[in-house]
Amino acid sequence: MNTSHSVDVLVVGGGATGAAAAYDLARRGMRPLLVEQLDLSTGTSGRYHGLLHSGGRYAVRDLETAAECIVENQVLRRIAPFAIEDTGGLFIATPDDPADFPERWLAGCRTAGIPTESITAAQARTQEPALTPRITAAYRVPDGSCDSFDLIHAFVEATRALGGDALIYHRVRDLIREGDAVVGAHLEDTRTGERRTVSAACVLNAAGPWAGVVAGLAGLDVGIKFDRGAMIAMNTRWVNTIVNRLRPADDGDILVPVGTVCVLGTTSVHTDHPDDYRIEAWEVSKILSEADVVVPGIRHGRALRAWAGVRPLYEPPEAGHDDAEGREVKRTFSVIDHAQRDGVRGLVTVVGGKLTTCRLMAEQAVDVVAAQLGNEARCTTAGDPLPGPHAPRYHQLGGRLHKLEHGELPGELICECEMVTRAQLEAAIDAYGDQPVALDDLRRDLRLGMGPCQAGFCSYRAAGILQQKKGHTGPDTVEAFGAFVDERFRGVRPLLWGHQLRQMYLDELIYRRTLGLDQLAEQPTEEPAHA
Amino acid sequence: MPENPRANIPPGAGTDVIVIGAGLAGLMAAAQATQAGARVRVIANGWGQQIVSPGWISVCDRADDDVIAEVRGYAAIHPDHPYALAEDDAMVRGIEAFRNVAQQNGQPYDMRDKDGHNLRLMTALGAIQRPMLAPRGMANGDLTGVGGPVLLVGFTGWRDFFPALAIDNLRAAGVEARAVCIDLPANPSGTWDLWPGDVARLFDGADFRAAVSGRIKPHAKGAVKVGLPAVLGLENPVEALADLSEQIGAPVFEIPTLPPSMAGVRLSNALRRWLMRHRARVQVGHPVVRGVVANGRCTHVEVGALGHTNPFYADQFILATGGLYNGGILSDETGRLWEPLFDLPVATPPGDGREGWYGERLLQERGHPIHRLAGLRANKQMQPLGQDGGPALENVYAVGHLLAGFNPLTDGCAEGIALATAYKAVQTALQLDE
Repeated sequence: MNTSHSVDVLVVGGGATGAAAAYDLARRGMRPLLVEQLDLSTGTSGRYHGLLHSGGRYAVRDLETAAECIVENQVLRRIAPFAIEDTGGLFIATPDDPADFPERWLAGCRTAGIPTESITAAQARTQEPALTPRITAAYRVPDGSCDSFDLIHAFVEATRALGGDALIYHRVRDLIREGDAVVGAHLEDTRTGERRTVSAACVLNAAGPWAGVVAGLAGLDVGIKFDRGAMIAMNTRWVNTIVNRLRPADDGDILVPVGTVCVLGTTSVHTDHPDDYRIEAWEVSKILSEADVVVPGIRHGRALRAWAGVRPLYEPPEAGHDDAEGREVKRTFSVIDHAQRDGVRGLVTVVGGKLTTCRLMAEQAVDVVAAQLGNEARCTTAGDPLPGPHAPRYHQLGGRLHKLEHGELPGELICECEMVTRAQLEAAIDAYGDQPVALDDLRRDLRLGMGPCQAGFCSYRAAGILQQKKGHTGPDTVEAFGAFVDERFRGVRPLLWGHQLRQMYLDELIYRRTLGLDQLAEQPTEEPAHA
Repeated sequence: MPENPRANIPPGAGTDVIVIGAGLAGLMAAAQATQAGARVRVIANGWGQQIVSPGWISVCDRADDDVIAEVRGYAAIHPDHPYALAEDDAMVRGIEAFRNVAQQNGQPYDMRDKDGHNLRLMTALGAIQRPMLAPRGMANGDLTGVGGPVLLVGFTGWRDFFPALAIDNLRAAGVEARAVCIDLPANPSGTWDLWPGDVARLFDGADFRAAVSGRIKPHAKGAVKVGLPAVLGLENPVEALADLSEQIGAPVFEIPTLPPSMAGVRLSNALRRWLMRHRARVQVGHPVVRGVVANGRCTHVEVGALGHTNPFYADQFILATGGLYNGGILSDETGRLWEPLFDLPVATPPGDGREGWYGERLLQERGHPIHRLAGLRANKQMQPLGQDGGPALENVYAVGHLLAGFNPLTDGCAEGIALATAYKAVQTALQLDE
């Protein structure tokens, strides 16, 4: 089956930049269609530490990004308060860090416009008692934590309300070129194989690490460098403030309290693949031992899950740092007008940047699209709040427990770790209508299976409920169950020692001995290349 | 101050054997030592892996024919395997001892037949597992030669059993089945956050069972067997099973559900009660924190209490602390594996750090190297080996999951090894001749 329709702008990529761009386009009266090859927020935007940067991290060697971060930090707090927790941030120096760094850092913050407040070591430890006593300098900055999933979904919902649309699990098979112009794309539903043709006056390529692949579909070359970074979620909030090391940016120097966990990050490893999510043992050790310097004892805590994201780094050729890699490449972003650069109209690529600056990236990319389309409306995304609650929506267990105990969350608990009830699960399944729904989709919707047991118990229950709701056959359900188990295992595999190893043993015991899932689930014929 | 005549007697004096651990291997070692006349004390941090296991006894799941013969054949060519160390009659006698003790406490374990063939039991997903022995409720569900129709019964709204999930997979295994969910007659908590134990206690009531049977009976016409989740009573499962079967009019069987396993709880209770009735001491909830060694022998173990430790003395010590899951072997992020009580040498997977511990997929065939390779090596007396390859300690024996050389999750022999090694350890510790 091949259906076709027409939109003003096709936005490729359901991460923060693509979602913000679709929203911006819709507000300026250009009808967007956003396409995402997986689910929303599954690429770099979902694979990050949850930090809403104050810019302090870039204040010494990337002032442009630092200045953008502090401005956009304020904007996002205003337009998406539901997605942000105002944790505040601390920069902490220890005797191991270069003594001259705090002065340079303060100067950078002043230039970039980042407010800092010097506090004593005692004040820092009053605020965060788990911090090391070996503090030589401490500053407060306006860092926060940001739930990219909530933010991206709010952008997409607002886009839909304005007449735009979004397609998930749709891959761009090729871009349609007519002479010197891109005029649309062929899409394929990755779940059903169904194809459709979309004609568009312009394609906005916001595909993150895949931006080079997408540009390649139009025969154009965008040289992107891939930089892999690993993060580890600890099972409780060891700190309630973002904690940064006050030293030149290096591996493992951020702790981010987000939702129910504390995320430790990150590393920076060059890779040649946009989907290289490997985590090597040295990365885990490095992250834990660095975090242990700031919060002594944390390396003996329980690590729940690790993941890696791929930063798409791009330096325009005119910058002249051809061989810069990893942290040497600046975190600024680039908007490439292919009409200007390559003489091909109808395609604009936006690449690089930070989640914190996603709205600004979208604005500048949409400016270029608008110019091509002759649209003269101005960007208004920094002004009005996004539709959504005006208060932060914290994903903490206290909130759910309160509701449970006061009868506001009826039905039995299916996922006890994250307190997900059957009623919530059924409502989430219903929300997909006739669309296929994977257990991993429900995880992203509800946090199902994200707690300490990593779905050991709730995966069977959720599979049973999904089967009841959807009337799937046994083999379909087993396949969905097996896929969810595989996905959960990928995240804990780098962390299997001590308690988490024991947990996985229990999960494996349930799957293999109690349920016999290993007999039923197909062994895959080939391993994914880099997953 | 009045003289306390017992003040100078150390705790545990008069104990012949201390068993550390209350899993299947530890409890059966304690039972057999007690039967042999020894004064026995079990000290354990918690109940063992039976609490989270299906409840059946896997001896050699993959055997199509005579299980014992298959094990003998395997042991003959794998001299380091725990079955080979224990030697084959240990397995046979260990199983026999277990069946007797369980039977005496109202927990009969049944086999398919006298010829030692494995059972064919269904899981909640409709897969087929092939243990040699199972508690009567599960053994009733043997599907050998059964084409159906089998009725599977769940409880509306209960989160731990979804009978419809099994239907298609059972059909693929050649068994026709249909599923139905009934409303339970009583739900005292008002919610469905019921643990298996909560439901099992309801089934201890005869009136409750009669009411449930009345609801199942109309669906059971023509069914050759009726399967329910394995929560049919805690105290007297044999009576509950007989009642339900009679009232429904077809043999009722139990299907294992998510942990905690009621079959495992019943088993733990039965073995503990047997031990206490026979004057053995059972202390569960008290961690042994270390073993104290002098002249190549363990003199006593130190048991954690509030803010201090208490010494417990004995002549022989049977280490049944379990493997990586139970805490008999500990691991850390650098890839170190150690045995925490005596610091006995632990066999480890080859390679650097944790790199070789796990494969790529959780449910990959043959499981993960860590589970097969990490553990203690022992000699034929079940004494753990020291660095020099000789026995590490004269009077310490290792049994069950603590031993290296088998994967308890994939090899289908975990309980068989627990029973065989427990039998063998008691034989050598007490120098019992055949």
